[in-house]
Amino acid sequence: MDTDLLSIEDLSVVIRRPGREVAALSGVTLRVGRGEVVGLVGESGGGKSMVARSIVGLLPGGSLASGAVRFEGDDVLRMDDDALRRHRGHGAAICFQNPRGALSPTRTVGRQLTDRLTTHQRLTGAEARKAAEEQFATVGIRSPRRRLDAYPHELSGGMAQRVMISLATGCAPGLLIADEPTTGLDVTLTREILRRFRLAADTDGRGVLLISHDLASIAGVCDRVVVLYAGTVVESGPAARVLGRPAHPYTRALLRSVPDVDGRAVVATPGAMPLLKAAPRDCPFAPRCAHATAACTSERPPVSWVPGAAGDWTLACFHPRTDELAREEPAAESSGRGGAAKEPVLEVDDAHVVYRSRFGTGGHAALRGVSLRVAAGETLGVVGESGCGKSTLAKLLLGLVPAARGDVRVAGSRMSALRGRELRRLRTRVQMVFQDPIGSLSPRRTVADAIAEPLRALGLSAARRAERVEALADRLKLDRSMLARHPHELSGGQAQRVCIARALAGEPDVLVFDEPTSALDVTVQAQILEVIADVVRDPARGSVFISHDLATVRGFADRVIVLYLGRIVEEGPVEEVFGNPRHPYTRALLSSAPSLGDGFSGPKITLTEDLDDTEAAGPGCPLAARCPFADDRCRTEEQELRPYGNTRAACRRVPEIPDLLKGSDIRV
Amino acid sequence: MSETVVVGTARAGRFATVLIVTGSVILAVVALAAVFAPLLTGWGPTEIDPLGTLVPPGPGHPLGTDANGMDVWSRLLHAGRLDLGIAVAGVAVAVVAGTALGLVAGYLGGWVDDVLMRVVDVFQAFPTFILALAVAALVGNGTGNLIAVIAAVNAPAYARLVRAEVRTVRESSFVAASVTSGASTFGVLWRHVLPNSLTPVRVIAPLNAGWAMLTLAGLSFLGLGVTVPAAEWGAMISLGSPDVVAGRWWTSVPPGLVLLICVLGFSLLGEGLQERAEAKRR
Repeated sequence: MDTDLLSIEDLSVVIRRPGREVAALSGVTLRVGRGEVVGLVGESGGGKSMVARSIVGLLPGGSLASGAVRFEGDDVLRMDDDALRRHRGHGAAICFQNPRGALSPTRTVGRQLTDRLTTHQRLTGAEARKAAEEQFATVGIRSPRRRLDAYPHELSGGMAQRVMISLATGCAPGLLIADEPTTGLDVTLTREILRRFRLAADTDGRGVLLISHDLASIAGVCDRVVVLYAGTVVESGPAARVLGRPAHPYTRALLRSVPDVDGRAVVATPGAMPLLKAAPRDCPFAPRCAHATAACTSERPPVSWVPGAAGDWTLACFHPRTDELAREEPAAESSGRGGAAKEPVLEVDDAHVVYRSRFGTGGHAALRGVSLRVAAGETLGVVGESGCGKSTLAKLLLGLVPAARGDVRVAGSRMSALRGRELRRLRTRVQMVFQDPIGSLSPRRTVADAIAEPLRALGLSAARRAERVEALADRLKLDRSMLARHPHELSGGQAQRVCIARALAGEPDVLVFDEPTSALDVTVQAQILEVIADVVRDPARGSVFISHDLATVRGFADRVIVLYLGRIVEEGPVEEVFGNPRHPYTRALLSSAPSLGDGFSGPKITLTEDLDDTEAAGPGCPLAARCPFADDRCRTEEQELRPYGNTRAACRRVPEIPDLLKGSDIRV
Repeated sequence: MSETVVVGTARAGRFATVLIVTGSVILAVVALAAVFAPLLTGWGPTEIDPLGTLVPPGPGHPLGTDANGMDVWSRLLHAGRLDLGIAVAGVAVAVVAGTALGLVAGYLGGWVDDVLMRVVDVFQAFPTFILALAVAALVGNGTGNLIAVIAAVNAPAYARLVRAEVRTVRESSFVAASVTSGASTFGVLWRHVLPNSLTPVRVIAPLNAGWAMLTLAGLSFLGLGVTVPAAEWGAMISLGSPDVVAGRWWTSVPPGLVLLICVLGFSLLGEGLQERAEAKRR
């Protein structure tokens, strides 16, 4: 027992706030050994962050905690201030979710690291600086000496997360806690960052607790996985077993809710995680569980060994599932609906968007010559990493930013030619579903008001509006009692249904989905994806589905465009692009897409360099600086989209790539 | 099962309510006393007692009389009408005007914003009280004029406050959603931007009303605000100031105390609203 680095025993935490109590954790037991990476997974509100906070003694003021959090035998819950301070420096360190928010903006990142070293390790300034430089180098920061003097805003997201990791590992803590370390990072970076945590465990014998809602991406680096639901541990065991052949119905629901690049269908589980006021006396998952019996609602299932399984695999369920998680076949072919033959409802011709700086003549070109067509009944997927111009494209389609060159036509009318009332009319023909559902609803307006907004612009009477709003609520399975509520009373899933209802209200010609599920919890995501799948099936309407997540796009789109730094690098039918990517960037994206199944099957390209868009501003191929195949001509010649089979790609070396790859993986 | 550990203390959420209730009660008492002043005293506010000036507090005059032979208690009660009335009305006008300016400047941006904000800069370049003195000297001292003075010196702060909020709110996706729903600019401003930009105004306005009372009393003390014989606390303090030195405290101290209590009431109310807004944000 005393070999465990961290051992949490029957930890319960009740958070008391005026007027309400929340049982954040109810009897959580878990351990992390030296050199071990343990994944803590589950949806928000499940108690993941509360576990992290309890380990570093940062529970919110006024909480009641019972049980024990033993770190090398000492109970963190009962440490005095001095012991706690030592524990935070040397014992356990935490890496926060939002690296830029967690770094102090007015101090150089080097200074933030040397501060820790001089405080906890009693190094002198010069020693600390030297040590900091080494630390930066170990986490993979290029030219570490120069970066020591950088401020957080000068770093890219991936670089900032590397700095965070070096801050956490700087004082050589025994345990590293990473709270959603890759949320908000691009897929090509996620792998690299997670690899750093694996390295921290393997080379230095640290324990790592990796908190994430994203099962697929952590699957490869974890030794063991602990699944939390409503503050209880529902399943815990070796990662390969828990994620490969889950026994608890909730774990199974989680796994089936995640779209995968291999194209398997998503199965949604109804309901949402409850927020408990007191420790549960029954199985908290019972109301959503298809296998629940009377026992599940009258008694809390005890933690027991998974029947017939070897190893350290436990779960809390009366009816563990032992069968293989059924692999659903890919959904019925969505393409070939004859969309291309129909009139295009949306056309973009060679559009350039430039954000000008307020003073002077400089500017940032967010889109550089993008052309696309969407026919009625067709869904176009748009994928790319942050900074590729996805959001700018969405704004352009909605007429929220003007095109510096080129044009947008909606149902045949040129957007730039219209003004005033006519422009407002045309705008109602394109509607968007936003990324942050609650943020896209006015906090002081009711749900009914929000849904009725486009109808108001169309000049419908109040009675007609109310009628239509109720019909839309029914269609999206929103309870009518919800219409009088305000956004803060809605869950994320409900709010996104409201946003979809609003987008549909005016019967638009084009629906734009801008990362509609990325702010939602995994099981809710699956429910919303079901709703969207139903909505995009309408033959009268064209849809644009924007996402950084290739797997999600694969489930919906007929055709896909891949954006990189404001340019289309590849375009084609979804199966073609996903099955046989022509452009090296598309291949790199697919290679790094997390998968619980087999993932992308062809030879992989892994990009380890962070994107640096200043290097890509030149005339040549924007990827040249990161591309393994780039030669001098790539760096100097503009790359245009050229047809290769059914797809088009902006890379002159496409025909040579199969030979260059020779069937093996490439890391750059 | 080991014993339970209590971690720190939660911040009492009731604190905000206590502040708000206390502040409101103080202000309600003063306001009611001003409205029902004739029921609480036999003397009119400008009625002169022929029997004497500077009579000490006693059976006939609970707080004595002033140098003009007017009943201090009666004047104290009646003065609340002018003091509270002008301060609250002035701040109300400032809120409406400032909010409108800030809304337009913040939402439209560009040259409209530049022009409006430079005007605001000019107003804010002077200390509030100096500006109030100048405007009061310019427009004269009727009740309406004094409301205008209070409004003019305070409106720029609201314009700035609201503009800053608007610039955040206009970037939110619910505004984008409204614009793409085909709503007119006015519709977006009125239904979405305005209601979501007023939180800081709600907090500042009561505090501001307290300061406005001080400004008004200050003007009156210097003879640029309400003038004797009209009953107003600042003017009363001014009239009684020579007497205090002579030991006749009852002419100046009571209006000073009432002024203090009122400003305290407004401050408590504002602090309470701020606490509540912060608690909500957590």
